[in-house]
Amino acid sequence: MTKKINERIPADSGNGAAFTQYNAVQSPWNKLMSYQDALHYASRFESVLSAAIAQAYRIIIPDYETRADEMCKEAYGRLYYTGINYPADDSFGIHPFMCGSYPGALIGDKGDDALLMCGRCNDFGTYRCEKELDVCDWDIVCSELCRATTMSLQGQADATESRHRKGHKLDYMMVEAKGCGDRHCRIIAESREKYPAPPHALWQSFGPAVSDDYKKFTVEEDCVDESMMFREECDYHFVSGTNVTTDSSNQMINLSTAASLYLLPAIDNAVRLGYTTAQNADWIKKCVLEAAGKAMFGERYAIKACRDWLGVPNSIGEDGRLLGGVIEMLLQSLVCKYEIEAFNENEVIYVIDKGGLAITGCQSLPQAHLYMWMGMVKTLVNAQWSVWEEDSPAGKMRIKIAKKIDKFM
Amino acid sequence: MYKNTFKDDEWKRSEHMAVRENVGYYLFTHQLMEVSGPDAQRFLDWICPNNIATLKVNRDRYTTILNEEGTIIDDVVVMRMEEEKFWVSTLYATNLDDWIYFHSDDFDIDFTEITEDWHMFSIQGPNSKAVMNKIVEGGVEDLRFFANTNAVISGMDVILNRGGFTGEKFGYEVYCTPDDADAVQDLIDAAVKELGGKEVTEFQVFAWTLPTEAGFYYMRDLNGTNPFEVGLEKNINWDKDFIGKEALLRIKEEGPAREMVGFEICDENEDYYIRSKQYGGPGEPVFIEGEEEEIGRVGKLVYSYVKNVNNGYILAKKGKLHIGDHITIHGTECVITEKNWLN
Repeated sequence: MTKKINERIPADSGNGAAFTQYNAVQSPWNKLMSYQDALHYASRFESVLSAAIAQAYRIIIPDYETRADEMCKEAYGRLYYTGINYPADDSFGIHPFMCGSYPGALIGDKGDDALLMCGRCNDFGTYRCEKELDVCDWDIVCSELCRATTMSLQGQADATESRHRKGHKLDYMMVEAKGCGDRHCRIIAESREKYPAPPHALWQSFGPAVSDDYKKFTVEEDCVDESMMFREECDYHFVSGTNVTTDSSNQMINLSTAASLYLLPAIDNAVRLGYTTAQNADWIKKCVLEAAGKAMFGERYAIKACRDWLGVPNSIGEDGRLLGGVIEMLLQSLVCKYEIEAFNENEVIYVIDKGGLAITGCQSLPQAHLYMWMGMVKTLVNAQWSVWEEDSPAGKMRIKIAKKIDKFM
Repeated sequence: MYKNTFKDDEWKRSEHMAVRENVGYYLFTHQLMEVSGPDAQRFLDWICPNNIATLKVNRDRYTTILNEEGTIIDDVVVMRMEEEKFWVSTLYATNLDDWIYFHSDDFDIDFTEITEDWHMFSIQGPNSKAVMNKIVEGGVEDLRFFANTNAVISGMDVILNRGGFTGEKFGYEVYCTPDDADAVQDLIDAAVKELGGKEVTEFQVFAWTLPTEAGFYYMRDLNGTNPFEVGLEKNINWDKDFIGKEALLRIKEEGPAREMVGFEICDENEDYYIRSKQYGGPGEPVFIEGEEEEIGRVGKLVYSYVKNVNNGYILAKKGKLHIGDHITIHGTECVITEKNWLN
């Protein structure tokens, strides 16, 4: 095989992120897609990957309550720790007089917008806050995630509270969740001093809300499908109620995914707690991620759509460049550096910055992607093709897409 | 039919009305930038449109801060603590810190954020003076509006400032060290409650309903506006140079493109759905019936517990809305009003 790079325009289109060099994400065949649009694909792909990892977690801890409880405790503890050690009141518009845990809602509000989870804040006060989301790419992952994200917000809110004078603690609950089939995600945070309710376990963060009769339900025609930072009516800026203003450079898809922030840490935690071994956890992840990857292009129309999306010329047949294009679009959207070592009809080789793909420093995420890509190549190209890691330099993941025969595959 | 988070909330109503009818207090610690040095006044006069040169020691002045386009980037209270030492009270210290840093090269000043050194309690309402006279050694009879002074409360050194964010004739702010904050609060709390007042704990009351009723702005209301659009042009000293003056002169000559107007929902019991900027986002678009052009956005929508109306602000194209006009906002009938519900 020759490690040549077939003609492509521009030859270095995979070099770096859209921010610095290009106004668009660019496929190997010069198909341009706005960074914003590509980000939606990246976000959804990461959610599909997260959904598969959620199934692995379910296999590792079969009981719902135990699983959700462990996930919530892990998420709460980690985000509380983060909030304590990396306070950022100013960047969230949390003013010195905001005592108690209600300013946590400002953290959630800004984070939602940055993760393309668009909607609106309906209430923000000392004793009650309400946030309603119309879109959540994580809605396909698992309901345990809905609970855990709520508890991570509780952790951030409690950490914020600890930095101010004594205030009123709010109980954050996701009383509606798109991951559970509701039209919206709806977080209502209530002070139990003003809205008394029996205490609940950490994982039981679904309500009901005592102040449900104050909620504002947004009807379909008023729902939005883009974050403020991508909406003209918002002048392409997110602005919170305390006037924190950010643009699309604040987007967090490349900083936070359900897998990196919640599910893989939950699995690591399950290993620590003895629910399974690290080896078995990895095996389960491999099984479900490969299956999920195969399912992505199991139907021929999905291949057709993908080729169209990438702008693949008709002259390109079934070879590894198809998956290469998908991977490149994802890496560019995630602002993850990579080098192209080979890109031809026989083989495609990328050297990917492992740190860039280890979103939020989640070291097992690059491997999870590799498992998924292995499944994808089987249906996007054909079963002769595989993806594997080979001769990786330090800090990099060198992946090869080529034909391979393996009798135990 | 859902409940109204303001009208139907007796907790908020009682805290709001305590300030209007008696006295209420709350922690209202702002961020403080201390600007000092031989050029401190000259520098502040450069970044503030209002007149700082005439500000006497121990007096305060409200002012906007503008960028070169004449757009408001902050609204602050400048307190002259000494001849060459000023406090700037803000809620955007990070931005202000950068702004000062990048505009102070030609001035002999020092500046530092001193937020961590102080807490501030705000005591507001008709009986606030009685509370202060009870707890402050020597009383506060001589303290004028927008004036500050050193004082002692039960042996603790504090700084008093007469003013507030409620529109009340009598309102005071007590600055104390974090170490003294618990003790100072206990004394204020006891004195307020002895008079039948209460602690205002609800952010929506002390940051939104009380100020809005008086026609005041929370910074979010001013986002992207210039002083002419929001009625703050009277705080401009045209006899000096300041950042944004050139742009502002042009706006003055051409006339502002927009204006902030007040509005009320006609039926206070209506289950309205109107988005407002105080919760973030762009606010509900406003149209005139029969016209397709958007003429403004709802900036704020809260509740006046004094007038018992849902009240707020609209930032609208200049001349499109007049007091008394009836408009329908997202299916709800509203009327355009003055921006003050205490008159």
